[in-house]
Amino acid sequence: MGNNGSLYKPLKCELIKVLDESPLIKTFVLVPEESFSFGTGQFIEVTVDGLGEAPFTPSSSPLKTEQLEITVMKTGYVTDHMHSMKPGDMMGIRGPFGRGYPVEKFYGKEVLILGGGCGFAPIRSLLYSLIAISDKLKKVTLCYGSKTPEDCIYKPYIQELRETPKFEVMRSVDEPDQNWTERVGVVTVLLDDVNMDIKNSVAVVCGPPIMMKFGTMKLLEMGYPEHDIYLSMEKNMSCGLGKCGHCMMGKYLVCKDGPVFTYDEIKNQPHIWN
Amino acid sequence: MNRISIPKHEWDERLLQLLSSFEVYAPVENEFSCDYMLLDADIISEAVYNKPKPVTPLKKFFLPVKENVTSGTVPAKPVAIFGAPNCDVMGLALLDMIYMDEEYADPAYQERRENTTVIVADCLSIQENCHCTSYGIEPTGNEHSDLSLALVDEMVILTIYNKKGEEFIKKLGVVVSIEPEKELVQSLVKKQQEVMDQLKKQNSNLPGYQETGKLISASVNGAWVKHASNCVSCGACSAICPTCSCFLLIDKPGFEKIRQLDTCQYPGFERVAGGEDALNALPDRFRNRYMCKYVWKPEKYELQACTGCGRCIETCIGQINKNELFVELSRV
Repeated sequence: MGNNGSLYKPLKCELIKVLDESPLIKTFVLVPEESFSFGTGQFIEVTVDGLGEAPFTPSSSPLKTEQLEITVMKTGYVTDHMHSMKPGDMMGIRGPFGRGYPVEKFYGKEVLILGGGCGFAPIRSLLYSLIAISDKLKKVTLCYGSKTPEDCIYKPYIQELRETPKFEVMRSVDEPDQNWTERVGVVTVLLDDVNMDIKNSVAVVCGPPIMMKFGTMKLLEMGYPEHDIYLSMEKNMSCGLGKCGHCMMGKYLVCKDGPVFTYDEIKNQPHIWN
Repeated sequence: MNRISIPKHEWDERLLQLLSSFEVYAPVENEFSCDYMLLDADIISEAVYNKPKPVTPLKKFFLPVKENVTSGTVPAKPVAIFGAPNCDVMGLALLDMIYMDEEYADPAYQERRENTTVIVADCLSIQENCHCTSYGIEPTGNEHSDLSLALVDEMVILTIYNKKGEEFIKKLGVVVSIEPEKELVQSLVKKQQEVMDQLKKQNSNLPGYQETGKLISASVNGAWVKHASNCVSCGACSAICPTCSCFLLIDKPGFEKIRQLDTCQYPGFERVAGGEDALNALPDRFRNRYMCKYVWKPEKYELQACTGCGRCIETCIGQINKNELFVELSRV
């Protein structure tokens, strides 16, 4: 007699804290029943018991194994329910799955990170990893865009990052209010202001599909080689095991072959931006 | 390769004995068609060998339509399936790559595979939509099989391809040294050749596998829109396909998960929470299945994802014939 428990049974986690990041985005702090580790950029499947499962890339530091954080935009059936959950509730996680950011390839380089909206979640986990190896990096520039100042997430963290040597943060919003002092426009406008040594730089892009598309196009225009642009792809990853087929993107299964790809790996695959 | 033969009535007796230690399945004809049935003493003699092909693909033995993958269990009694067509057996090679990959071998699938012996039956006749040979697959057992059988003149001829096949023959209590008469083997070889010739003749217009992949990749919207217009997204083509194996995970209370076979032909298959759906348009979904079979799966796994069984053509409620589509594409 055998069963599939090891692959499909989620590890139970207690939700210990819920942080409001913006009107639509919350960060959930989870304590798994067993210690849980992941590589930056890898994703997990989060189960709301009896209701559904959805993929998220943890937004916390991969160096922490006793608890992890996921930052979730209220945008569908599962996430609607997650937003109504309270500390003390239980969730389930499976994973980690897939191929994350190959940070060792960033050694000795400048790293340009382009993020939009809730796409900051995987980026924050990447930033924690990069801070840990900052002696091996030249510099890290984060360009982050959101719709309004109210939609900007991780506000305390942004301040912390601005005070970290070698790290700089540039932000833009589409619709500013009277207190906004940074750039206005879609996130790609920030790329006009960056000062990167492109020959010795890599770029990381994570955000909504439309932002990923125009961000990538702009990076290519700036002269970034296709193999130095890292994209965190969003597809309907369901099993996480390369079997269920829902995240197929041409010959790739995003859950197993990705979710992080270089642009040259996927540029000829179908519907990469939707 | 080693051949032995046994009279049909003796063979049926061997199978009867096997029932005590195995669940034995074989194709049995019913009012409408022919499908796998769990054999018992009453129907052993009704098992049909050599006729293509059971309505249900072989995958159903390894991937049930619906099962609990968190606390479900796999029956411990070993299974023997007699009379699977080679097209289905070749399809299992792809399922094995997906479900028994090094990183995440699926326990239930793997246990069923290890627990099951599949005995190929040589097809000694053809059906209207059979086209295995167009894709380089023989309608008989081959070196990928453990064991194959053919029924000729009330004699069962068994071809043993490897040690595993030989071990199973011993379990059946058949003496492995009884060589079939020369005339019997000649008769089998002649029939096999006739079937190969019929298949080639029937599908002489059909482009080969790789060529079909190139045609699908290069084809413009026109043909897809036309053929997709008869598709009602029922998913029967995938359900009945020996290699389609996508699934949906359904959550149940207690952190339980149910795996239910799914298909890219259903709307919403690729839809993400943000609303983007790459396969929202019917012609895109329709074409996706063929791109998957003829282009992406072969690129990814270096295996064919259509074995030419023709079931999708037979089952289609919209009477879509993929082979007509490919012939049409080859003529553009």
